[in-house]
Amino acid sequence: MSITVLKAGLQTTLQGTPYSGHRHLGMPAAGAADCLSLALANFLVGKSSGEITIEITLTDAIFEMNESCSIGVVGSAEYVRINGKDQPQHQTLRVGMGDKLHIGPSRPGCRTYLAISAEIDANRLLGGQSTCLAAGLGGFHGRALKTEDVIRFSQNSPVIEVERTTPENLRPHYSDNHVLRVTRGPEASKPNEGALDGLCLRSYAVGARASRMGMALEGAPLKATESSNMPSAAVFPGTIQLPPSGQPYLLGPDAQTTGGYPRIAQVIRADRHLIGQLGPGSRIQFVQTTPERATEIHREKLSLLTSWLGQINLW
Amino acid sequence: MADHDPTIHICDDWISIKLPDWESVIAAQSALSASKYWTEIVPGIDSIAVQFDPALVSPDHAAKMASDQMANLTRGGGNSRSTVTIPVCYEPEFSPDRHYIADRLGISAEILPSWHISQMHRVAMLGFMPGFAYLESLEQCPTIGRLASPRQLVATGSIGVIGRQSCIYSFDSPGGWPIIGRTPLRMFDPSKNQPALLSAGQNIRFESISKDAFDHWQQEAEG
Repeated sequence: MSITVLKAGLQTTLQGTPYSGHRHLGMPAAGAADCLSLALANFLVGKSSGEITIEITLTDAIFEMNESCSIGVVGSAEYVRINGKDQPQHQTLRVGMGDKLHIGPSRPGCRTYLAISAEIDANRLLGGQSTCLAAGLGGFHGRALKTEDVIRFSQNSPVIEVERTTPENLRPHYSDNHVLRVTRGPEASKPNEGALDGLCLRSYAVGARASRMGMALEGAPLKATESSNMPSAAVFPGTIQLPPSGQPYLLGPDAQTTGGYPRIAQVIRADRHLIGQLGPGSRIQFVQTTPERATEIHREKLSLLTSWLGQINLW
Repeated sequence: MADHDPTIHICDDWISIKLPDWESVIAAQSALSASKYWTEIVPGIDSIAVQFDPALVSPDHAAKMASDQMANLTRGGGNSRSTVTIPVCYEPEFSPDRHYIADRLGISAEILPSWHISQMHRVAMLGFMPGFAYLESLEQCPTIGRLASPRQLVATGSIGVIGRQSCIYSFDSPGGWPIIGRTPLRMFDPSKNQPALLSAGQNIRFESISKDAFDHWQQEAEG
């Protein structure tokens, strides 16, 4: 009733629904960085969209199954192999005891989700199970997986047997070039007038130290106010801050809950799942939209996905 | 978009409300908490943000609701004005930056604990990591800069000081605040109904404890 990690890779964590309702206590969202790939993977094994999965980042990872079950793999992995034989993503796969599952490196993109039909035994807190790395809470003992770790399944957990294939038109296109739509942030006006226009004028490259917390955006620096004495204020995943250096900083799912840099833009909810596929060197073109249009886009996306996934939440 | 209050800024699934002062933030937090539409209510120093589900609520409607809910803020009302006493061990092993801080205050490191204890603080907000509290002293004092290079590891319970502001590290983490002492109290316990020990608006008093008392306290917390 378990799965053994034979090769953990760069950063492999247990992730599902983010934490909600505790940001005022400093609790970050955590959760799957790409909630769309997560939902598609979970559906392949008959689970609801936010169930806990194994999130694999950039490099390849290898697992050994100690149990027969179904799995679903969705994400940026170049290949999926069971005992050396290529297998498709977006399709329910059967694995048996002793099978070796190899999830290839991300090419292109950044993250892949491995959903398992059995119930993964993860630490539970505040209504969630996702790994919160900064505080060492949730998931697998609050940390990234290491080689030889054994992820246990809950005893007597129901194994839902389904055979599913994601429809072609719902399969995300993984790329190293992204268009992210943003709305104006609270500090986009004076004295940062022009910063948002500048942000949308040219493309940016994701810096080498990109993480689940956030990423520096490299490109021509924006005009920033020199001494930033802004009183700390709430930030969210997808908030774009403007530090005095003029290099914008995009916050990810593990970002802290408050910050002291001007918030010049906010990636719209409907596009936030793409943040999970941004890795070092990914290029981003930002496009400004309005909150009203962003809401329409969000509802259109939900309605498209609901036709296949049923009830779904994007974050 | 309909005209709305200029102090309200709308993003697609959260809105930020600028407030005149910190007292209003605490009052706003209490006023907004009554609504079931906010998935997050996050106080800042002079602003507050609420997040909502854009599948259910439109941004304009959210702004109107927030505006209505905050129409009659009673500043200084709130029932969270309790005073919490935080025991702190100021022994040298827990106070690596006592000389740095004392030098900047122009006092001796020996009387540094009494200087810290003599001040009443209040919890301005939580942030940075779960249960991490930003405290503000009610008295004026000289600014103490951050450390020139941040520490790789600041231990859980460490108390940092940069002038009027203090903070309490709720978990081991890297950090740049000069450290004055350490509390054995657990600042964040996710198994509790109220996981964070502190909340914005509370008054804080520090109390000096010995190393023995610290160890005893910590053993009890773990036991």
